[in-house]
Amino acid sequence: MGIAVVDSTLFTSVDPVVLAGSMCGACGAHVFPAMDSCPTCSSLDVTRVGLPTEGTLWSWTTQHFAPKPPFRTDEFAPFSIGYVDLGPVIVEGWLVGKTQWTIGEQVNLVLAKAWTHEGAPVFTFGFEAVT
Amino acid sequence: MSVNTNDIFIVGAARTEFGRFDGEDNELAETAVRGALADCGLAWSDIEFAVGGTNGETKPDNLVSRLGLTGLPFVTVKNGCATGAVALMTARNGLIAEDLDVACVVGYDNHARGAFNVSPARYGLGDWYGATGMMVTTSYFALKIARYLHEHGISQRTLGYASAKAFDYAQEHPYAWRRKPVSVDEAMDADMINDPLTRFMFCAPDAGAVSLVLARGSKAYDLCETPIRLASVALRGRRPGSFEVFSPWLSPGDRTSPSIDAAKAAFDLAGITPADVQVAQLQDTDSGAEVIHLGETGLVAHGEQEAAYRNGEFEIDGRLPLNTDGGLLANGEPVGASGLRQVHEIVRQLQGRADGKQVPGAPRIGFTHVYGAPGISACTVLINEGARP
Ligand SMILES: [Zn+2]
Repeated sequence: MGIAVVDSTLFTSVDPVVLAGSMCGACGAHVFPAMDSCPTCSSLDVTRVGLPTEGTLWSWTTQHFAPKPPFRTDEFAPFSIGYVDLGPVIVEGWLVGKTQWTIGEQVNLVLAKAWTHEGAPVFTFGFEAVT
Repeated sequence: MSVNTNDIFIVGAARTEFGRFDGEDNELAETAVRGALADCGLAWSDIEFAVGGTNGETKPDNLVSRLGLTGLPFVTVKNGCATGAVALMTARNGLIAEDLDVACVVGYDNHARGAFNVSPARYGLGDWYGATGMMVTTSYFALKIARYLHEHGISQRTLGYASAKAFDYAQEHPYAWRRKPVSVDEAMDADMINDPLTRFMFCAPDAGAVSLVLARGSKAYDLCETPIRLASVALRGRRPGSFEVFSPWLSPGDRTSPSIDAAKAAFDLAGITPADVQVAQLQDTDSGAEVIHLGETGLVAHGEQEAAYRNGEFEIDGRLPLNTDGGLLANGEPVGASGLRQVHEIVRQLQGRADGKQVPGAPRIGFTHVYGAPGISACTVLINEGARP
């Protein structure tokens, strides 16, 4: 049985988890999620690629109040989000496992439960500190 | 100085009090327009060209049904946080291109309580982005200032200085919304919304309207004793490397910003440098935004902000009185009115008739800056050229 995710187009692989970005054949720019044109140089020569799964924490915040809909959760608790420098691109995502972080920390891509749908967990991507 | 035919001046200015408003949006706008007309002794029938800006659902051009069906061309603009500045630019361009003498600009909004609610699709993003709680403007501001503080070695307490300054100015400003003083410690110790930003470090959406009357060439001196010249107005969008709201990714290269580009263009067009500015308005959607924009506009070197706050440089008798009406932090943000509020405050300061604290020493040169989604900025330089040449 497969793993349910918030949006399957975000991933090239769910197990192991790898994010799907796109790479521009003309200028080399990487973006996430994958797009069918390059926002840097407007080229249409773009290829879907898997992004690195390890990176450095570039910035972070902890969300202390529940966002309005369309935010969806089983039960709100403060959670962290951040930008992670993966090398070719800096990606925004959940930071899981704690709520106080330090810029420059090494982090790894993981799956994190976003909510429960019909009794089964639905996962999004996040990053956790390398221990 | 001689008056050039295509010099554009602000000859009338008025604003409403900002805050909660129960009436119709167009009532607010009408109040501001009638105030600006009275400020320069004109009637609506004297206006040859009008521009209205709002981020809401009402139609600014329908204001003519309240103000008078004079047949004038009335342009509507909607450019998010830059709406007011774009309205001003459109009116200036209209006067020059159409060979007209007098234009009216109005910006207004009447927002419901609470943070703006936005849909991912409107920004070209998948539903997952909103559903997982990433589509939150306050977290964007927090992520941006957290990075900026880190890169430039600025303390979190600097954010408290910015808030305390805003509410200190506002307590003496009759049109500001939040006029209760907040100390640096109170700002720092308040409920955390998004680390490192507390409750007293964010502006909130509210209601308000601002109107300006513009005149071209020597006509300005017929209408106003001290017209203020719109020396430049520049609008810029984002380039690769900027850090904008609702961005699932950023490029890893050098950081750029539409504010850097718009400020530089405005200074260059006006033939001045940031060091010439004597009173300024910066987009302070949150305390961090003010700190960042001080650096991006060139008014203060990156990393020097903390010392500048501590040394009182932004106070009324400091080197660069800043957001002297309390800025967005104390006025809130009726999006369509906000940029024109800045211009209104600078015009009043340069004319020596500030509504709140007056900058001493008859400042001549002012600057305004707005910035917002989806990565746009507009800046103006305003100059008091003195009595009629
Ligand atoms: Zn490209």
